[in-house]
Amino acid sequence: MIGALAAHGLALMTSGAAPETDTPSPTLRWVAEGDPREAYVDVEGWDAGAPEKWETVLTVHVVHEDLHTALRTPPMLGSYQTTKGGVRFIPQFGLQPGLRYRATLKTEGKPLVVRFDVPRERTTPITVVSHIYPSSNVLPENLLKFYLHFSAPMSRGDVYDHIHLTDAEGKEVELPFLEIDEELWSPEMRRLTLFIDPGRIKRGVKPLEDLGPSLQAGSEYTLTIDANWLDAEGLPLKEAYQKTFRVGSPDRDPPNPTQWVIAPPKANTRDPLSITFPEPMEAALAKRLIRVAHVVGDVRLHDDERRWVLEPKDPWSPGEYKVMVPAIIEDLAGNNIGKRFEVDIFEKIDDPTTKPTVVSIPFRIGD
Amino acid sequence: MRNLSFLSLAACLACQVTLFPAKATDWTSGMTEGKVTFQSMGPLAFGPEGILLVGDALSATVTAIATGDTEKAEGAKTIKVEAINVKLAGMLGVGADQILIDDLAVNPLSRKAYLAVSRGRGPEAKPILVRVGSEGMPEVVSLEKVKHAVAQLPDAPADDDSGRRNPRTESITDLAFFQDRVLIAGLANEEFASSFRAIPFPFKNIEGGTTVEIFHGAHGRFETRSPVRTFVPFTIGEEPHLLAAYTCTPLVQFPVKSLKPGAQIKGKTIAELGNRNRPLDMIVYQKDGKDYLLLANNNRGIMKIDASQIAGAGSIEDRVRGTGGVTYNTIDSWEGIRQLDQLDDAQALVLRATSEDSQNLESLALP
Repeated sequence: MIGALAAHGLALMTSGAAPETDTPSPTLRWVAEGDPREAYVDVEGWDAGAPEKWETVLTVHVVHEDLHTALRTPPMLGSYQTTKGGVRFIPQFGLQPGLRYRATLKTEGKPLVVRFDVPRERTTPITVVSHIYPSSNVLPENLLKFYLHFSAPMSRGDVYDHIHLTDAEGKEVELPFLEIDEELWSPEMRRLTLFIDPGRIKRGVKPLEDLGPSLQAGSEYTLTIDANWLDAEGLPLKEAYQKTFRVGSPDRDPPNPTQWVIAPPKANTRDPLSITFPEPMEAALAKRLIRVAHVVGDVRLHDDERRWVLEPKDPWSPGEYKVMVPAIIEDLAGNNIGKRFEVDIFEKIDDPTTKPTVVSIPFRIGD
Repeated sequence: MRNLSFLSLAACLACQVTLFPAKATDWTSGMTEGKVTFQSMGPLAFGPEGILLVGDALSATVTAIATGDTEKAEGAKTIKVEAINVKLAGMLGVGADQILIDDLAVNPLSRKAYLAVSRGRGPEAKPILVRVGSEGMPEVVSLEKVKHAVAQLPDAPADDDSGRRNPRTESITDLAFFQDRVLIAGLANEEFASSFRAIPFPFKNIEGGTTVEIFHGAHGRFETRSPVRTFVPFTIGEEPHLLAAYTCTPLVQFPVKSLKPGAQIKGKTIAELGNRNRPLDMIVYQKDGKDYLLLANNNRGIMKIDASQIAGAGSIEDRVRGTGGVTYNTIDSWEGIRQLDQLDDAQALVLRATSEDSQNLESLALP
């Protein structure tokens, strides 16, 4: 009902003193002129003169069922604007869908109280985990990260409570992930980066000795995302999500672009260019960073991130091209071009300034 | 906190830290007056003369705000705000589950607490700066017309031309002011790389990040790219150093002068404080003529470290079983600490979880 009224841009839930008196009485009402989150409170027929502070007369609170919380809840912040017949309270911040608000006006008699429910746009959960990268069902023992993709923006705070890694017997792996208070979200909050704790990957290390690796070669694991994780609208996921995968041997070899196979398209077509890797590459970095110099188009990854495909905006002209590959791209174990993820203390570390930061791979499109 | 203990450090003869250069500096030079907007509000730290530094990971900026809150506090005062998250929720018109207090910093001049509050948990969440004095009433700090300067961090990801926002962000994990520089620790959500930056203040030019390489005793390897969780400046001999706590949980020192753009520096691991643990905040203070470090952790409580051990501490270069290096006492009575800063010479200010859905802001006598 509230939603319908709001849609008509009309006043909502009015309260006034008993009609049998002759003296005009103040009325109190919520007004929503469209978006109910921007509703405000109007007092009309106020003839007692403006008080020194309207805050002492008119207050708005979030309504809580729990008395303990209700007692500790101060009035909302907002501005008081005097109007011809009274005052208007405009909340400083928009109202939250799903909550009930209460406006209270002190009068000479009983205070006037008007409540306002802000409807939710939807009440049925529809958000799902849309994909988890890496896509492959076989992952290296020293896998560095997962990306969790969601179909709609999610909410942050305590995300690690909703993510579980279990072995083939259903036993939960203890603290497998690097838990970061900031939570590594994309700006739209539809992708969460989940690093596996490097202490559980590297060889001969204390956490690895105590707890074992997060992932053990030869075993099967399931990554479960709980349905009770709330999306940005405060609703749970439509369903839990599971990715089951087998773990293969660790990958300690840096990616080597000289082993990549480039399939050049025909000239004067908009055929895709494809590059096939001998191993899956880390999805986000491969998609964002690998480029063909001076060619604009859409990049997609296929075959469990083993193949990078560019669909050009314009037809290919015959000539020489270069695939540009920043050295910071990673394979699934976090190895970069020319640099293993794990660097042994006794190994000489090259001067980083002498390393190429971008590797270029030439190819030709014939006439 | 992500703030320094200016008072105790400035007075500290043993470690002879100079937080601000002796020459007079116009710290607000280059600032303009106007509205400041944030996409996100991450770590907070105070510089000189009530200048608040605010990290914004989503817009890849650090903003310096001249708060004008420069009146020196007299005498010792306590702060206690019970269920501050519930109170803030009421004031901001949302449910308490929609309030996240992302950081806390005390203005060393006025001894007022500043909180980075997120109203909401999704991508539309509104970052709000809140101030709390000893009277215990939280107030929203208006950012409509303030003197400020913004530093854009280098290598900030550019949005591509598809109209989609670049999913890469770099979280700011800690922030501090030291002498005439703003120090920033960061962690990216795609390539596994943490950075440490030193930006001259007042903001002029932004230097690139420095890769910090540490020997992680418990892991028995170099952790070349582990994220710095929290850090404090600390002078050893006459040389300014940073003490940085890493996830699971080495304490590492490295000289401030080594923070140069593009440099790869090697830190010295002086303590291994145990795994399955995440450091949260760190302060340096003085009590009975001695210097101490206080480190708040998510799993291993509050650790108090006698700082006189640090100057002579050996470098941990062998694998450590359990803990090692400089020793600490655990302060058992401080439970549920989420945020920590120093309030005055004798008190800390903490954000403390008292139940699953309630947090207190309270001052505690330094142990």
